[in-house]
Amino acid sequence: MKFLRHLAAATLVVAAVVAAGLAWGHFDPGPLPGPGQGGPGQVVVRGQAVKRLPPGFKIRPGLRVISIGPENLGLTSMFQAVNLPVLRDTVEIEAGVIAAVVILEIGQRRWRRARRARRLADVTRPPR
Amino acid sequence: MATSPAGSVSGAARRRRIAARTRLDFWFDGILLLGYTLAYSYGFTGIGIHEWLGLGLGLALLFHLALHWDWVLRTTRKLTGPRGHDRVIWVVNLALLVGMTLCILSGILISRVALPYLGINLTRIGPFWSTVHDTTAEITLGLVPVHVALRWRWLVRIGRRLLAWRAR
Repeated sequence: MKFLRHLAAATLVVAAVVAAGLAWGHFDPGPLPGPGQGGPGQVVVRGQAVKRLPPGFKIRPGLRVISIGPENLGLTSMFQAVNLPVLRDTVEIEAGVIAAVVILEIGQRRWRRARRARRLADVTRPPR
Repeated sequence: MATSPAGSVSGAARRRRIAARTRLDFWFDGILLLGYTLAYSYGFTGIGIHEWLGLGLGLALLFHLALHWDWVLRTTRKLTGPRGHDRVIWVVNLALLVGMTLCILSGILISRVALPYLGINLTRIGPFWSTVHDTTAEITLGLVPVHVALRWRWLVRIGRRLLAWRAR
């Protein structure tokens, strides 16, 4: 029961962030979407309608093709060694940040302890 | 201090319950970190797994926040107190909550696989949400390891205890 109350409270906070985000998106003065999802000068083509551009077909200047043919889900990409560096990069960044924070935290704690020890020594030192 | 047998039983049960909760926190947080790492590595997972994993992470993060709601309330009440460490964690966690929520929200809005599969086709979604998704993903990649590292003593302590418990 207590957990459900907490879940409701957490959902409320997340909903508030979502509402703020949607409002931000709604009132954003950025470029408005053009003829398709890709924005001005971009047309998103999905599904079986176009598998590849016909031979000799040229794209009008200013027009950019984002997707041709059905969406490739890439379900096998995890089993291809060529994609492994992407995961390795993420892990390296995370490990680097964790190491930096841990080193900083240890340094800060040592500095605080040393300062506290100095103060204590000053207080307990007998006057000359 | 004298304790009744009933009291010692309830005390032992309470200790077991706390340990169970600690175990849940430890393993669940580990799974969350692994899930986030995979979801961020879009080029590794491919779009299908990236989107479904992102949706799952959204629900899991809500669960994570609910599990630690007591801490949120306690620390928010003590924000004006002298302990600086908890204040830093609170600010990092708040930034992470906003960043992660916006990342998942924008991911849902620009979804090309998961939402159409569920029969939801959002139209007129401009490039704004793609930019938000990319930016918040970069921000969360910086904040998630900080969030983990700020609790590294707890992680090491519990990790050691759990491994020792398993080795016994």
